Amino acid sequence: MLRTAARARRAAIVAAASLLLSGCTVVAPGGVGTPTVPVTRAAQDELLRSAEHRLVVDCLRGRGITLSARPRAPDDDRVFRAALFGAGPRELSVTLATGATVTAHEDGCLAIARQRLYGDQRRWFRAQVTVDNLRAEAQARMRTDPAHRAALARWTRCATPPLGPRPDRPAPAVAARCDRESGLDAVRKRLEAAEMAEVRTLHRDELATYRQLRDRALRRAAELPASGPPVERPHLS
Amino acid sequence: MKRLLATAAAALLATTAGFALAGSAGAAECPSGEFCVWQEANFGGQRANWSGDDGWWESWISDTDSSWANHGISGPGIKDHVRVYESAWQGGSMTICLAPGQEVGYNGAANDRGDSHTWATGC
Repeated sequence: MLRTAARARRAAIVAAASLLLSGCTVVAPGGVGTPTVPVTRAAQDELLRSAEHRLVVDCLRGRGITLSARPRAPDDDRVFRAALFGAGPRELSVTLATGATVTAHEDGCLAIARQRLYGDQRRWFRAQVTVDNLRAEAQARMRTDPAHRAALARWTRCATPPLGPRPDRPAPAVAARCDRESGLDAVRKRLEAAEMAEVRTLHRDELATYRQLRDRALRRAAELPASGPPVERPHLS
Repeated sequence: MKRLLATAAAALLATTAGFALAGSAGAAECPSGEFCVWQEANFGGQRANWSGDDGWWESWISDTDSSWANHGISGPGIKDHVRVYESAWQGGSMTICLAPGQEVGYNGAANDRGDSHTWATGC
């Protein structure tokens, strides 16, 4: 009974929110109150973050859950996680060039908020995970470069004490000195820049999708109506 | 305190093999607000979890990490992405960057490679 009520409430909120969102896309060009997308990257990121947060809070409220700072008992936390992150099969999945298969659920409030903001959560997931890991991919490619291997061998010799085996983890000061003396720092900087350019070319399609969906989300975020009741900030130390 | 408990639990459990295998369905068993790392693939075996940064993972989990989950909670101005590095103090290469809700059951390349992680507003 409770479940049915919650489901009905959720459906009503979803319907109301989509009406609100689709209604808001009809904005007269140049009209009074036309929403504007901020210019700086930092302000854009913050706008997307706030919009996603509000959509998540609305969705959770529809499931009878409040996003709060108080710690939860393990069972409550399990219910909360299922509502926020989703449950069941991991429908969203991307295998990166680095070998990692990144997955997420489609039915959690986080995924639902992204669906509303970005329009197509599967395309967004693929683009976002790929773009977020371009640096990791460039660095993985860099490690196979002979110049990097040679510099790393020099670094290892530098960090190995004259007597006895190399400590598992050299002191930070020793590591910093060896970074400089072996040339590893310089080699990394040079190779990483080249590999980043290479992986950006390899993933130009995902980058284009990323920009396209992000622009759409920025417009939607700017058009979101003023916030409802104040929301308690989640705890994350 | 959480960290202390985790350490004590880890020390205790280091002597017993394979426990707390994650269920195959549903989100990985990782508390909300935390980043979790498991010794085994598919969120199995011993688990380490952190709500903050750790520049040098304890020896039982460093270079033995096989699956990962970011259960951070997003919000305005909150660092909710996790960057994992192959060396202590965020050194060497970044092996993976995860947004909240993202999980990796296995990674052939970054398996048993992580040494540190940091929370960030992005990747």
